[in-house]
Amino acid sequence: MPRLAALPQIQRNMLLTRAVVMNDGAPRAGLAGPLSGATVAIVTSAGIHCRGDRPFGREDPTFRVIPSGAGAADLLQSHSSLAFDKTAFIRDVNVVFPIDRLAELVAEKRIGRVGPRHYSVMGALHDVSAMGDETAPALAGRLVEDGVDVVLLTPT
Amino acid sequence: MCSHTVGVVARRLEEAGLVTVSISLIREHTAKIKPPRALWVPFPFGLPVGHPDDVAEQRAVLDAVFGLLDAPEFPVLRDFAGDLGEGETGTSIQAAAVEPSAVALPLADEVTTMRRYWEQWSERAGRTAVGVSGVTPVKFRGVVRFLEAFVGGEERRLPEQGDTPLPLFIRYCADDLRVLYLEARLVMKPGETQADTQRWFWGGTALGAFLRTLRDVMNDSDDELMRGCAYGIAR
Repeated sequence: MPRLAALPQIQRNMLLTRAVVMNDGAPRAGLAGPLSGATVAIVTSAGIHCRGDRPFGREDPTFRVIPSGAGAADLLQSHSSLAFDKTAFIRDVNVVFPIDRLAELVAEKRIGRVGPRHYSVMGALHDVSAMGDETAPALAGRLVEDGVDVVLLTPT
Repeated sequence: MCSHTVGVVARRLEEAGLVTVSISLIREHTAKIKPPRALWVPFPFGLPVGHPDDVAEQRAVLDAVFGLLDAPEFPVLRDFAGDLGEGETGTSIQAAAVEPSAVALPLADEVTTMRRYWEQWSERAGRTAVGVSGVTPVKFRGVVRFLEAFVGGEERRLPEQGDTPLPLFIRYCADDLRVLYLEARLVMKPGETQADTQRWFWGGTALGAFLRTLRDVMNDSDDELMRGCAYGIAR
């Protein structure tokens, strides 16, 4: 995003007055080996899902599973926000869901492999408590089960 | 916002032993939430990994975000070099910023015209982002009749609604019509900037004008979900 000062005033004010969780430090996990041997998966808050999955609703804290074999033709975006222009996603899903770029990194042995599944949630939530208390721990369990070492998170 | 959600989720995943790297589009939010490792990028909403079809830029973003794994500082929030491109505003142009002009066709006829362009896009690209409503585009004139009936105070149903609440189904229908137009426009005006496409959509189409009316009717509802969904129809 541009710096907030570049946005229209109404949107800048909306973002500045939005209640945001504040923390002093961050939890830290360790990577057992190099990235070139790690399993990587994507978690995105772009409201993406496979065609045929239930679209995201308003203030929806649930998640969708995207098999790592899914391609651009399989994906839809039901994110409720009008703050972003869907034309970029229409042209190239990698703008927010970089599946082709990750495949290149695997081919170049920069990362070990892509996990069996990626996951998607919807951002633009006013209340993130269910996301933090229920959805994210559920995602963590699935990602651990999937053998994932490193998670790349993308907003929209 | 989405960067807020990403920050909250990243912290939970890291607590569970997963190593995370995040992209942020709102630096101010990410600085407060403090996900373990984050890269702020200066791109418009909707494209945190870089511009469409710009493989070099997308690769540079991924290099930078995975490079956070080697950062000596922790937690880490770094800035990706660069700024908005020429003509980019960072956010999508909204209906309120565009004066609607006279349109050439009734909405249903305009949708039929757009569908012909959309078919070219769909065939050329081998994909479409139309589909959240579950209604096939060949039935979009019926979607128009459904939405126009709602605006006129009539109750109608489309079988594709299933058990989806009416406000959400209306939004999905509006989303699909909008995406069909955007994909059609990629055939009509290849190379047009996203900002100009949005100006065309809100200023020069019957659908852009209709969505404003639809939003107003939804906003007049007593149903909180209906009013909430209006915000995703037009602003």
